[in-house]
Amino acid sequence: MIVPVHGRHITSVGFQAGKDKMNAVVVKSKEVTLLEILDRVLDKGVVISGDMVISVADVDLIYLGLKVLLSSVETIEKLKGSPFTSPM
Amino acid sequence: MKLYLYGIIDSSNQTEESIYGLEGSGVYNIPYCDIGAVVSEISQPIQEVTAGSVLEHETVVEKLMANFTVLPVRFQTIIDGRDNLLSIMQSYYRDFKDNLERVSNKFEFGIKVIWSADKMKENIIKALNKEQQKKLEPASSSGKKFMKEKFEKYKIDKEFEAKADKLIKVMDIFFSKFAAEKKLTKLKTENLLLDAVYLVEKPQESNFREVFEHIKSARSDFKYLFSGPWPAYNFVVLSKKSSLLREPEQTNLFDKVTQSQTLVGVDII
Amino acid sequence: MITSGIVETDTAEEFIEEIEKSKDALPEKIDANPKTVEKGLAKLVLTLIELIRKLLEKQAMRRVEAGSLSDEQIENVGETLMKLENKMEELKGIFGLEDEELNLNLGPLGDLM
Repeated sequence: MIVPVHGRHITSVGFQAGKDKMNAVVVKSKEVTLLEILDRVLDKGVVISGDMVISVADVDLIYLGLKVLLSSVETIEKLKGSPFTSPM
Repeated sequence: MKLYLYGIIDSSNQTEESIYGLEGSGVYNIPYCDIGAVVSEISQPIQEVTAGSVLEHETVVEKLMANFTVLPVRFQTIIDGRDNLLSIMQSYYRDFKDNLERVSNKFEFGIKVIWSADKMKENIIKALNKEQQKKLEPASSSGKKFMKEKFEKYKIDKEFEAKADKLIKVMDIFFSKFAAEKKLTKLKTENLLLDAVYLVEKPQESNFREVFEHIKSARSDFKYLFSGPWPAYNFVVLSKKSSLLREPEQTNLFDKVTQSQTLVGVDII
Repeated sequence: MITSGIVETDTAEEFIEEIEKSKDALPEKIDANPKTVEKGLAKLVLTLIELIRKLLEKQAMRRVEAGSLSDEQIENVGETLMKLENKMEELKGIFGLEDEELNLNLGPLGDLM
């Protein structure tokens, strides 16, 4: 995944600050990616309804999900081996 | 047996590589005639929408996209048993087939553009033609003062919309050159000038990206977001005519209806 | 891992803000509590009044633009519209309704206002 780092230099002095800034950028990039995925996966695509369908992402789930998700982004970061933290 | 459905593909063959989906279950294709439903077995409906489960779902869909034309299915679509799934495939067959053909060999790309609504309005205020306001000067009485304020706001908003229309039109002309279909939303928020998705044929992808770069550099004071390639999330239409090259959407009915110069039949004053 | 669903932007934070803003208008859950039913009715009625008020205002602006209102008419229309606006504010206050709440979602047609 492309992480924008134009003009951000990580120098030896204040390396930690630079690293934190880099992490913040990465988190934001992941967050916007997640929002784009959510918009499609929860709100677009083929919707099949009927007796034979056990459950479909319904409206409540969607909006609850959106709110829950954004706070869980950073929690997910800490999960080892999760698809989200795989090298991109 | 509960089957979690990821997408409909244009093939009755098995999925090549081993793909794993929700609950770590193996993903496989259940064929129906010349198409198939890609599923994995799931023990129970997903209790909580988490980033993890959404990504697991999306990862499967994207792996399918690499080898097949996919109609992506909405998150958490669970079918009660194989027989029911085949029944569904039977009723939707024509719909699925038509959509698969229409989006075959095409990817969806998303483009979002942010501009500074405040800055635009500032510029508009500076350039405002004071002619029409002459009648509202001097704004001595309260009624007149009210009208003056409202009129100024009206003019600014009108110019603002017109500017947005113009800019979107220009951008869209360039993007449409390489797109088969599109869906545009103008001013979803004041700053979100454009929220668009385009359906682009695979061979045109690099041209499309190039055009995006051109537009980025032409108006570098705006901010841009480019996403994709996606499977045709926004272009699947079931039992309806497809949205081929539609005009940009207004986001509310009031604006849509009052767009024309005269409010037909409404002569209140 | 995300294989091909790539999102590229130099300004992720700004887009996050705007995307979240655009999703802020959440659909109302249906609640059958009598107090909320009352409020629901008030909301509906006020939404319709708001619609008409906005139409009137827009019509007035068009007339000003076209220069087809006399001085007296401008003053009178202004006074009336102002009173209407103030009355609406009062009613909104009484029912504890915000501007954003006075709207209707018409499904595929989008929002009313």
